[in-house]
Amino acid sequence: MQAQSNPATATIPQPPHSGGRTANLLVPTGIAVLILWSWHGTRFDLVGLLGADGRAQMLAYASKLFPPDLSPDLLAKVVYWSLETFAISFMGTFLSVVVALALVFVSSRNLVFTGVLFEVDEAGRPIRIARVGLYVVSRAVLNLLRTVPHIVWALIFVFAVGLGPFPGVLALGLHTGGVLGKLFAEVVEDIETQPLEALQATGASRLQIFFYGVLPRVLPQFLAYSLYRWEVNIREAIILGYVGAGGLGQQIQIAISLFLESKLLTLILAIYLMVTLVDYLSAYLRRRLL
Amino acid sequence: MLPPNPSEAALPFSDRSKFLFPVLFWVCFAAAFVGSWQLAQVQPGLLFEAEGRRNMAKFVTGMFPPELSPDFLRFLVVPLFETIQISVMGTVLAIAIGFPLGLLGTASLAYTGILNDLEIAGSRARRFARTLPYVLARSVLSVFRCIPEFVWAFMFVRAVGLGPFTGVLAIGVSYGGMLGKVYSEILENLETQPSEALQATGASRWKILVYGMLPQALPQLVSYTLYRWECAVRASAILGFIGAGGLGQQIELSMRMFNFHEVVTLVLILFLLVAAVDFLSARARKAVG
Amino acid sequence: MWSEGAAEPVYRLEGLTKVFNGTLTAVNGVDLQINRAEKVAVIGPSGAGKTTLFRLLNLTVRLTSGRLWIAGRDVSDLRGARLREVRRKIGSVYQQHNLVPRLRVVHNVLAGRLGAWSLPQAVRSLVRPRGEDVRAAYHALSQVGIPEKLWARTDELSGGQQQRVAIARVLLQNPEVILADEPVSSVDPTLAHGIVRLLVDLCSAFHKTLVMNLHSVDLALAFFPRVIGFRDGQVVFDRSPAEISDDLLTDLYAGRITGVSVEESPDAAAEPVRSCTPILRS
Repeated sequence: MQAQSNPATATIPQPPHSGGRTANLLVPTGIAVLILWSWHGTRFDLVGLLGADGRAQMLAYASKLFPPDLSPDLLAKVVYWSLETFAISFMGTFLSVVVALALVFVSSRNLVFTGVLFEVDEAGRPIRIARVGLYVVSRAVLNLLRTVPHIVWALIFVFAVGLGPFPGVLALGLHTGGVLGKLFAEVVEDIETQPLEALQATGASRLQIFFYGVLPRVLPQFLAYSLYRWEVNIREAIILGYVGAGGLGQQIQIAISLFLESKLLTLILAIYLMVTLVDYLSAYLRRRLL
Repeated sequence: MLPPNPSEAALPFSDRSKFLFPVLFWVCFAAAFVGSWQLAQVQPGLLFEAEGRRNMAKFVTGMFPPELSPDFLRFLVVPLFETIQISVMGTVLAIAIGFPLGLLGTASLAYTGILNDLEIAGSRARRFARTLPYVLARSVLSVFRCIPEFVWAFMFVRAVGLGPFTGVLAIGVSYGGMLGKVYSEILENLETQPSEALQATGASRWKILVYGMLPQALPQLVSYTLYRWECAVRASAILGFIGAGGLGQQIELSMRMFNFHEVVTLVLILFLLVAAVDFLSARARKAVG
Repeated sequence: MWSEGAAEPVYRLEGLTKVFNGTLTAVNGVDLQINRAEKVAVIGPSGAGKTTLFRLLNLTVRLTSGRLWIAGRDVSDLRGARLREVRRKIGSVYQQHNLVPRLRVVHNVLAGRLGAWSLPQAVRSLVRPRGEDVRAAYHALSQVGIPEKLWARTDELSGGQQQRVAIARVLLQNPEVILADEPVSSVDPTLAHGIVRLLVDLCSAFHKTLVMNLHSVDLALAFFPRVIGFRDGQVVFDRSPAEISDDLLTDLYAGRITGVSVEESPDAAAEPVRSCTPILRS
């Protein structure tokens, strides 16, 4: 291959214009406007925070936190509260998995009315409408569970059954159940159809295809999402404590309202340890089981 | 190498160890389940007791009809805007905190792999100088993300008082920790060969990062950041409960006064907001991918 | 150091050794000298250590013991800016996956200048490359035969085209030495010939030194006046193609197919296979 002579005269291709000049500028400008508007609206004031005054206040507050109260009395209670929070997150996640599993198989299109399992469906119109209706209703339920913030659920259940960790379990269970249900349904809807077609070709019934084709494929992913959600739930369990659902969160609320700063740092340390522990457990289990 | 007698070839692990883990797992799980049932004072019966049922009925009937008067809706515009603004500024702050710390916390940039082999090999001091910022950055990120934003909010209230700015700081710090960790994981999981080739042209780590790694990681970085923004919208609603403004604060007020019909409207608006943000972020993710 | 009439060899290796993790010796006490504008092919069985040798020569991995001089300069302990300065003078072509897939071809070609640019210049080039840079990239792509791909996304190109982009990048870098590690092993055999010829011709035209690891013995014997046989981390022979017999090649590659070395095999007494060109990987 020889070096090209006179490259200057050859026409050099121009870069492709994707969407034109104006469209390219629109998005960054829109984002900049959004940020400026938010800056103004939230009264974002870094100077106030990090300026001499703000720093002095934060330092004064921080010094009140030290040293953390480490008396055996308190530590014993903190251990109990930590376990309580762990329990809320554990039971809450467990309940959410139950809720999600209960709803997922009627919330997945390809198991209710469409897809390879229903291609040669001979059922009449009323049954088909009923199926679609079932799908729509269960999806709506999942949506409802998801949308209502867990803290609102917690308030509702505190209202219904009183203060304590149990309303926290219920709130987490329902709210996360909605979240997991949607994620599970997406997993089911995304599975490959070829293995199912193959099973169908051997004459398997829908139920058999479900047990031998669908379940083995989706269960590992369900487990992964559930473990991941547990990491989120340990944090949520703490927030729920604020509205009376027990655990470390409730103690934080008490400590702050009673100005017990030294106790506060102990609680924060306990929270940090608890969250790190669950994060680690969840990652470990995901590695071992999947 | 094949053993002389194939039937004597040892299995990679003994039968016993394969049996041990599942047993151990189920024992732990059962113990955790029973223990948690006790500690969380799970009493399903409470839901069905007379008082529980009465309260639930009061709640459900109080919800309908939802409060949809124009006055109330107009009143909600400011809290709605506040929630959006808190989520946006919170995410921006999270990026400002998470991105630099995430870069420092990326092992393949700091002290491992071919980007660092020649620079630090043979010198403990140099290796330490490279590892230290990495460890510090990772620790800071860990503290930021393992303390829930609600606790951060409580602490910031002391410094800046109630209001949306507290919400922004709380979300910014805790989400900054999450973003930083995920950013560093994304960068560490990139293919190393392009970086190796760029290094061979004499480029420094900075140039390799900017020219080779970031363009390649961009879709994943943007995708996760947008996902965090969606979470931030929900989080800012919740932080409103402790006085950080926005829709959450309104929900708390309405619940305290047992105005359930207002709560329904607020939750509905929150739902629409989250759906809109979901939609926008899905579009954005497609555009960058 | 790199001037035309310099007497020092481009590469001088003395007892060069690389041990990974304290146990795996990939390169074992290699003594070698490569002079300016030489063209050298390195052949040998897989796992012989050719890639490690390549990475030692282009200063990607650090030697464990021995000495390495590049253009008369001891590079065994080089770091920082001086290390990068030497790397700029060495161009590398890899087997595959060494371009940034999401970038456009022009950016990957211009990456050859990354060593010379400052960070702001690099960022600017990503956002909007300078006209003169674009022209230079176009020129380089013309030399490798794919000028029309200037603005295409790199991951849309075929394997052979990507290799040519990698060569264009090296052209833009304009180094003194070009090292290539099995540049055509992942490419269609029909294109392999053209790519090796391209590299050899370019190096001849611009008086550059070329060292190429090759899987195909045929290509090595056809294009290179000096062929080094490499096995188990050591130089087995270092000759011109005319002096390389089939026996020599057999010994070099022998025993690699079954995983048992020639001495240990019970069939060692039998006659080794006469013509022994390894099957080309397609």
